[in-house]
Amino acid sequence: MTNRPSISVLFRKVAISLLLLMSATGASAQWKFFSLQKDSIPLFRGFAVSFDLVGATMMQLSDYGSYEGAFRVNIHDEWFPIVEIGYGKANHETDEVTGIAYRTQAPYFRIGIDKNLLKDKHGPYRLYAGLRYAFTSYKVDVDCRPFVDPVWKWETSYGVKDEPCNYHWIEAVLGVDAKIFGPFHLGWSVRYKRRIAHKEGIIGRTWYVPGFGLDDDTRLGGTFNVIIDI
Amino acid sequence: MRKLLFFFVVVLLAACSTIDCPIQNNVTVQYEIRDKAGKALSLTDSLSVVTMRLDGEYVFLDITTLNNNQYVLLNRLIGKSSFSLPISYSHPEDVLYFCFTDTVKTVVDTVWIKKDDIPHFESVDCNAAFFHEITDVRYSRNYIDSLVLLNRSVTYDQQTVHFRLVPKSSD
Repeated sequence: MTNRPSISVLFRKVAISLLLLMSATGASAQWKFFSLQKDSIPLFRGFAVSFDLVGATMMQLSDYGSYEGAFRVNIHDEWFPIVEIGYGKANHETDEVTGIAYRTQAPYFRIGIDKNLLKDKHGPYRLYAGLRYAFTSYKVDVDCRPFVDPVWKWETSYGVKDEPCNYHWIEAVLGVDAKIFGPFHLGWSVRYKRRIAHKEGIIGRTWYVPGFGLDDDTRLGGTFNVIIDI
Repeated sequence: MRKLLFFFVVVLLAACSTIDCPIQNNVTVQYEIRDKAGKALSLTDSLSVVTMRLDGEYVFLDITTLNNNQYVLLNRLIGKSSFSLPISYSHPEDVLYFCFTDTVKTVVDTVWIKKDDIPHFESVDCNAAFFHEITDVRYSRNYIDSLVLLNRSVTYDQQTVHFRLVPKSSD
């Protein structure tokens, strides 16, 4: 029912786009963007762990959310390879209007890299731009309260249990990070998400995808991170 | 940095979720009326379609057709070359009685449509729906010369024609 473009094709498209972008800008400018600033600061600047408060707050206040942590490597305060791991959950009890209940819970992960865009790389503030690849494999339960066929008047219903689904997506990230004191930082990030491949079972669509959020036309998301340098 | 924080708050507010149910959420079967040469044919006799409900009562089905670029619901169709009919949510076979009436008499054909019903879910905010896969069609041949299955899949798509109805009188 849905088109599922091959991941390799999509990665090839992304790679070609990046190459075209690089060829469109000057060679020296490209090199400057990817090279590290020359100074006396060592290359490896340590690790940081972080925890997202937005997903956790949504988990408490609404019927879906996530607990998410991240592990980030600091390369010269300029490049930050990052792994984000989380556990997303939705438990929408039977909707008063539509009579549909929806449940899912599953882990997810993202892998990617951020670049510090500020000129003062080693200062207390950072402005990031980055990319992520994300994946989750999850199972969905959907129950529907019986409803009547308006013409034939038969009562009918439907539901699925443990319907296996998976979802691949990429995220473009723009974020800020401010040092509060010692190893303690706070930061925001805004994310633009695009699905690249998916399998959503016989019911056609899923409502909440762990890590991605609601599977609707909204492509923006965000995090508020508590970060500790280690 | 303050400007950046303000920007992020605005973007996050803009990212608030909305209800995205399809605007066109009718699942109906599309019919076209053609002569034996395949040319569009407007019915000169009136058409009503009847089915039997669970309680044993016969009811007229709403016939949907385009009139001045707007969809209208009719009990009786005349002068049109295409129309659509409802399909049951979950029942292995729909039995429809096509009643063709001219000024003198009514001729009835029975159409049996076998189908698989596929649950369709959009969101917890959208009403439950069924899509269908038509697996077989049978019909009597009193007025109808042929009823050809063109497309098996019945969804929200109202542009895809599922059946071509050719009346005997189209010679």
